[in-house]
Amino acid sequence: MSTFSGVGTALSSLIAQRQALDVSAQNIANANTVGYTRQRLNLTSIASQSVPSMFATTDGVGQGTRSAGTMRLGDVFLDAKVRVASGNAAFLAARAQAHAALETSVGEPAAPGLSGLLSDLWAGWADVANGSDRDAARAVLLERGNAVATGLHTLYADARTQWQQARTTTVALVDRVNTAATSVADLNEKILAIENSGGSAHELSDQRDLLVTELASLVGATSRVRENGQVDVLVGGNTLVTGDDASALAVSGATSFVQATAGEAVTVVWARLPDHPAGLDGGRVAGLLSVLAPAGDGGLLTGAAARYDAIATEIATQVNALHTTGVTPTGAAGGDFFTFTAGQPAALGLTVALTQAGQVAAGAPGQGEYDGSVAARIAQLGTAATGPDARWRGVVADLGVQTASATSRSKVAATMLASAESQQLSNASVDIDEETVNMLAYQRAYEGAARVLTAIDEMLDTLINRTGIVGR
Amino acid sequence: MVSRVTHTTVQRSTLANLQLNLATAARLQQQMSSGRRISTASDDPAGASDLLRLRADQRNNAQYVRNAADGDAWLATVDDSLQATLLGLRQARDLAVRAGSGALNADAREALAAEVDARRDELLQQANTTYSGRHVFAGTSAGPAVTADTTTTPPTYTWNSTGAPVTRQVGPQATVQVDADGASVFGAGAGSAFAVLDALAASIRAGSNDMTSHIDAIDTRLSAALEHVASVGARHSQVLAAQDTLADRSVTLTQHVSGIEDVDLAEIILQVQAQEVAYQGALGAAAKVLQPSLLDFLR
Repeated sequence: MSTFSGVGTALSSLIAQRQALDVSAQNIANANTVGYTRQRLNLTSIASQSVPSMFATTDGVGQGTRSAGTMRLGDVFLDAKVRVASGNAAFLAARAQAHAALETSVGEPAAPGLSGLLSDLWAGWADVANGSDRDAARAVLLERGNAVATGLHTLYADARTQWQQARTTTVALVDRVNTAATSVADLNEKILAIENSGGSAHELSDQRDLLVTELASLVGATSRVRENGQVDVLVGGNTLVTGDDASALAVSGATSFVQATAGEAVTVVWARLPDHPAGLDGGRVAGLLSVLAPAGDGGLLTGAAARYDAIATEIATQVNALHTTGVTPTGAAGGDFFTFTAGQPAALGLTVALTQAGQVAAGAPGQGEYDGSVAARIAQLGTAATGPDARWRGVVADLGVQTASATSRSKVAATMLASAESQQLSNASVDIDEETVNMLAYQRAYEGAARVLTAIDEMLDTLINRTGIVGR
Repeated sequence: MVSRVTHTTVQRSTLANLQLNLATAARLQQQMSSGRRISTASDDPAGASDLLRLRADQRNNAQYVRNAADGDAWLATVDDSLQATLLGLRQARDLAVRAGSGALNADAREALAAEVDARRDELLQQANTTYSGRHVFAGTSAGPAVTADTTTTPPTYTWNSTGAPVTRQVGPQATVQVDADGASVFGAGAGSAFAVLDALAASIRAGSNDMTSHIDAIDTRLSAALEHVASVGARHSQVLAAQDTLADRSVTLTQHVSGIEDVDLAEIILQVQAQEVAYQGALGAAAKVLQPSLLDFLR
């Protein structure tokens, strides 16, 4: 055993405690950094130098301590849980938002929406029945007919605008996915290089984990850690990122609401293989795709448009069926009251066919110029069990039920995500108290090591400077 | 798993709870300020559907009220006109009795005949009574109810009516006829009140003393008009009863709408108060939990 070996032991402790303090400093510095995972310095004791032999002077005591590298205290299972939950929550949130937006555009029952306009129309017919001699009542009726048509145009246009916005958002999000995938691939490459050269890339890993979580929330991506520490990202079972290579996604399919209502879907495909859909099973993009889907596949907006069309057709058919049986005050046969602009969807093309008040056919043939019996029968459509009003109430109630269900599902998913995130954070986040205690411990150990050094120094001083000076 | 608690997790959960409290407070505040429990269909889909139906009912009810008011005015006009007609016919009958009761000289007969003519004109005017521009005895036809052709002797009277009734809908299942058919009130052709009075005047001028047939003819018209007075009265009371029903129904509908849509103010104020207490509690807890750390207690 060397005389100076104690000095080495104390030095190793001084170095190790200082390193540990550095790690604490890094933890405290990043206490509020999003995505930061706390680190800890692993200390390991150094064993005694050699096997005792006949003339060995070793006493078998170890040689001090050394750092065995910093450890990143993340938990891949908790991370995976957060990713699954965030994919699910983002999917449901996108659907809930779309439902709420559509419900707002319908406006019922808080604002006087289509139901109010329809009630006005039927009241207009009743007024014509009462005052069938007055052109004013007929003129008011035409305006109310126009108001109903305009109301339906607005509803349809709102659905169309929402669809266009959702599609634009989808394209932007897919771009973001491609950027994030490229970043993950770059980070994979850097991290591997740093770790191969013996460095620590924990901070880069934090960034990579954040990006993978973002991908999970965008397209429901899952991840798989390779043996070399690189992370593969999978979308719908296929790899979006393998090692340092990233694939790209692209948006394909319907580009306009007309195409969507005709039954064409919007899909996300692989940029390299445009015929292969990515098969997203979660994430905000998948939620938007389900909103953009054709009516046959349960698309929200195209379904709403189809219902508006059905209502418009219903109004026109029922009113026209009665109106054509009537005659005008001059005895001319009543034509169609409502008509459709050719080449337009019913809800967008609905217009009042009559241009003059005198063309309103309120009376039955052969019943006198001022007969209002046909107008009275049309006014009764408002209370008919199969009338447009009853249908519209059904549409509003359906939308309400769907929105309520989408909102509550989204809330549940958000709660699950919050719980998963809090579990992940409770494991990975920095605790200032804990770091303070660690700092105390490292500081005391540092002081102790320094004291050991002093003791050895004094011992050597005794040996070197005070030996052999007896009686001096 | 045993959760490790750090400043970050405490901070996050505190923030989440504050958000939750604030969201509830905002929802209650919105309900209180708008006075409405249902602002979107998803708040209560079934309630929203009921609400739309009840509002449509309210609107229909308002229309029925308008119809009934219109019908009321028509029937009142018809009734007034029938009363005037009865008066005219009775006066004509008195004139006929006077003409048949004694020897009158030519001047007196002419005076009586002129008076009968005046009664006939009065009846013609009543037959063409209008309400708001519509001839109430013309049914659904336009133009005067009865036109007199004085070029012939005696004059001929033509009714301008298709016989189709004018009706008003005063309830979901209640339709009331609000006019009276002129031809059946005043009679048509030679038996019409006008022709009867023309014949009476002619008889008086001719110096006839036997007015029995004329009095009989006037009586026939009188009883016909009386029948219509009774019928119009019955229908008028039906409209008045319908107006009462509609007023009641309007109150009931408003109550129903309010029951579905309106918030219970006392309840919501209590909830808002409770929410405020909860929010302040959460804020206080946040202030206490987030402040201290070990650093406060070390030198």
